[in-house]
Amino acid sequence: MTLTDTTEVARSSAENMHYMPAQLTIPYTLTPGQATGIFIAELVNKRLLGSRHGDEIIVPAQDFSGSTGEPASGFVEVAPVGEVQAFTTNAKGTLGLVLIDGTTTPFLHKLVGFEPGSLEIGTRVAAIWSESPTGNSVLDLAGFGPIGEAGTFEPKSDPEGLAEPIEQIDYTMTLDFKHAYGAYYGTLFDGVETGRRIRGSKCSKCRRVLLPPRAVCDSCFAPATEWADVADTGTIQASSVVHIEFLGQRKQPPYVYAEIVLDGASTRLIHIVGDVDAERAKTAAAPGARVRAVWSDQHTGSLGDIEHFELIEE
Amino acid sequence: MTQVAIVGTGQTVHARRRTDVSQAGLAREAVVEALNDAGLTMDDIDSIVVASGPAMFGSVNQPEKWLVDALGARYKPVVRVTSGGGTGLAGALAAVNQIKGGSARRVLVVAYDKLSEGPLQANISTLYDPFWGREFAVGIMGFSAAYWHARMKRLGHTEEAAAMVSVKNRHNSMLNPKAHVKREVTVEEVLASRPLCWPIKILDVPPISDGACAVILAADADAEAITPTPAWIHGISYVGEADNAPDRSMLQSEPLQIAAMKVYKEAGITNPFRQFDVAELQEPYTCFELSYYEGLGFCPEGGAAELIASGETTMEGSLPVNPSGGCMGANPIGATALIRLAEVAMQVTGKAGAHQVKGAQRGVAQAGGGWANLRGVAVVGAEKR
Ligand SMILES: [Zn+2]
Repeated sequence: MTLTDTTEVARSSAENMHYMPAQLTIPYTLTPGQATGIFIAELVNKRLLGSRHGDEIIVPAQDFSGSTGEPASGFVEVAPVGEVQAFTTNAKGTLGLVLIDGTTTPFLHKLVGFEPGSLEIGTRVAAIWSESPTGNSVLDLAGFGPIGEAGTFEPKSDPEGLAEPIEQIDYTMTLDFKHAYGAYYGTLFDGVETGRRIRGSKCSKCRRVLLPPRAVCDSCFAPATEWADVADTGTIQASSVVHIEFLGQRKQPPYVYAEIVLDGASTRLIHIVGDVDAERAKTAAAPGARVRAVWSDQHTGSLGDIEHFELIEE
Repeated sequence: MTQVAIVGTGQTVHARRRTDVSQAGLAREAVVEALNDAGLTMDDIDSIVVASGPAMFGSVNQPEKWLVDALGARYKPVVRVTSGGGTGLAGALAAVNQIKGGSARRVLVVAYDKLSEGPLQANISTLYDPFWGREFAVGIMGFSAAYWHARMKRLGHTEEAAAMVSVKNRHNSMLNPKAHVKREVTVEEVLASRPLCWPIKILDVPPISDGACAVILAADADAEAITPTPAWIHGISYVGEADNAPDRSMLQSEPLQIAAMKVYKEAGITNPFRQFDVAELQEPYTCFELSYYEGLGFCPEGGAAELIASGETTMEGSLPVNPSGGCMGANPIGATALIRLAEVAMQVTGKAGAHQVKGAQRGVAQAGGGWANLRGVAVVGAEKR
């Protein structure tokens, strides 16, 4: 069978194997720096702090001026009121640029509590403080709303009794991806899912088999024009014994990380060698050792359909 | 032919966690030091190259936007370069090319990472193909340990030999004011230390660091006008290869061999072990330094264990490797390659202070990105060629 033929197979299977959903959830501990750290810490005190850089006053307070790169010469306390310079609305709410009285750079935040159609460029607004502040989020200032009775004052230089800067803000980034299989991975993983069949593509020039399959040989740059079946047995090319624990780990350590060249292929596959004692693995699962795939009960169409590899003891 | 030189360098005080500065503040600290070293201000800089690790490390995409403000560099040309542990060298190459191409005369390269902010190995695993290996990857550690294991058998890169790298580099760190890990170890302690991903043990592994480095580059008369001691770049190259090409043993790094060959030809190096006075090699784990000895031609293939055991790469030897302590003293990944380059520049201009190699005139910096498939080499000398 040539690649052109199987591309058709892949395309028909693309109906149900179009893409692989993947989610990355990554926890962070961010460092806001001195000025922004103090700005956030002061929100629970319902104080809005800016930084002074020559004639500029920037809110939220910044360590450095964007105009000159110079460090701030000090802090100012500003009135928590200002004027809307721009805004945009979608189904989730309204965001606006608010120029706080006495400052030179607008502050991007939520605009809340306005009747539809009542918000205009130039509308005066006042801070709305969170009813349940956390002490480490800009959302301790919930946003800006109608000004009501709120008054203003000139920026006050060098306010007394500033809070210690927040040093660390916990943050989690969750990213959803849809990775397209394409014709090559689609055909490979269709075969893996339904028939436990592993196939690579064969280079038209050097005749070596590339797994995962691809259109062009990385060594010859010649087209890989045929499919070739690859065994579910192979040889360890490189291996290490994993003891560390880390986020997203698939198996409880210790286990063996292995780069395996399957019989009939010329490229490597990354997997795990299971059911082997950590100390014995140093020699038994060393480079050169023979292994066999242990298929899982799951049929997901991925490398995870192989539970792990086991040593072929001779 | 235009000759580009390093005319100023700066580094932060590296640390496991810098809670006193933001990411942008960290980068700025190195830039201020480099500008002071060169006697320049931001007004003198024509173009900026920001070099940092994968965006995942610090959760900030396009961090160059933040940095421009903190550096006072608005309205200047700015690009970001990223290439894992080789990022700094790739950034320096971009700067050299800007100068040689005539688009800028004085270029600032600033490289940084604030690794305390995210889960490192998990983020490194996102370098892998999501279909092919990511779910079983152990950051760069599983891979590195696996190929060290393969080299043990074939090239004799024993656990003892690698332990000697740890002993040497940690010893050298003691005299580097910028290093934040200062603890001497013995070969026995390294061998007995806790396995993380055997054969890699915890004392084979550098720290996880927050840190930044900045370097200013200029050519010919511009360089000579800025400093009486430019560190001339005799050659610089950065080479990549296919990730999973057929029949690739990875016992040697082919990109490293190709990069070294190109740079040595440019720089007139025919016997690297004799012609270099100093080397700064990025060693994310001890086993890498052994592999680089062979890739850079300091010794024949399979000769690295003998070379480290000979003591010739210690401060007292004929080719001191990593007088700064290398990554063992500090390892902010995005900055680490530029630190290697800056350290060689400091060495050949006599500015390395307590860890100065006496009379060093010519040195080599080496670093790489991805897990094995991107490698950079630079030769730097006191003499203009
Ligand atoms: Zn081929």
